[in-house]
Amino acid sequence: MSIEGVFKEGIVTTSLDSLINWTRTGSMWPVTFGLACCAIEMIHTGCARYDLDRFGVMFRASPRQSDVMIIAGTLTNKMAPVLRKVYDQIADPKWVISMGSCANGGGYYHYAYSVVRGADRIVPVDIYIPGCPPTPEALLYGIFQLQGKIRRTCTIAR
Amino acid sequence: MSAKLEKLSQNLQSVLGDRIVSLVPALNELTLVVAAVDYLAVAKILRDHRDLRFDQLIDLCGVDYSTYGGAGAWQGRRFAAVSQLLSVEMNWRLRLRVFAPDDDFPVVDSLIDVWNSVNWFEREAFDLFGIMFSGHPDLRRILTDYGFIGHPFRKDFPISGYVEMQYDQEQKRVVYQPVTIAPREITPRIIREETFGSVKLNDHG
Repeated sequence: MSIEGVFKEGIVTTSLDSLINWTRTGSMWPVTFGLACCAIEMIHTGCARYDLDRFGVMFRASPRQSDVMIIAGTLTNKMAPVLRKVYDQIADPKWVISMGSCANGGGYYHYAYSVVRGADRIVPVDIYIPGCPPTPEALLYGIFQLQGKIRRTCTIAR
Repeated sequence: MSAKLEKLSQNLQSVLGDRIVSLVPALNELTLVVAAVDYLAVAKILRDHRDLRFDQLIDLCGVDYSTYGGAGAWQGRRFAAVSQLLSVEMNWRLRLRVFAPDDDFPVVDSLIDVWNSVNWFEREAFDLFGIMFSGHPDLRRILTDYGFIGHPFRKDFPISGYVEMQYDQEQKRVVYQPVTIAPREITPRIIREETFGSVKLNDHG
């Protein structure tokens, strides 16, 4: 049963909300879903120089342990059912970051016969990161944007 | 043509004789065209004969000649399978081309018993061009989606295909639907003077 919107805004509910949002933004664990060359930039972002661990972002190999999915690369028709299955396996609350032109809207392959014209045809997307591929800084910025989006949501207070 | 290619050409002519449909040098290698009925036998000879010794098959690809040289310019058969052969022992290479006799249902023999490296290359040529390889043990699609219809590298296949993918909220799964965008093909406009870079253009442009 959901408790969303049950309680009125107040000092207790909003404080609880900010606590919940702090826990959510502090440990966003993305499921590893690199599809193409964007994955290389995603790996860069996770490695020593940009070091996503600083922000509590740790890549997980299982969707059951994750709460964010970074779609990094070209989503083909053959991969789309798999992507949806992995997305469905992530426990709520879950967010999706679409990384790069191909995942945003097909990009270079928009008119191709084998590519999904945007990952948002398959899963709901929270943050779109432009670029081909986006730099690690751009991905970091996208993750910060998603953190900002999570902070603005109220789970308990109406 | 270098001395090495001359030697290879002479060897091929003496070994294969009238089974050669054509044997021409192109791009510093020889192109050997054989008829579909001789294809498998010639491949075995190319591998085993001691004057040829083509012990490796590097690549095999399909070709669709239907718009070759401009629409209606090509008079020959539509589909061909082209393989690149290498002899490590003799240090020479050969391009082997065979045209499928039937344009509507192109079938050529599989080279799987001669060079087993050809397995996935023939699957690829089948997937993209629809060329059937008789004798292939596992002729499935290799690149396109499961249940894909059509052969995308054929010249009459539309760039945007026939179907596209979408998640269906009611069925709770990813489904195919007819394509909703108009195909857009842009032919790049080439602005170049005939003598640009002091390159002399030949017949092939």
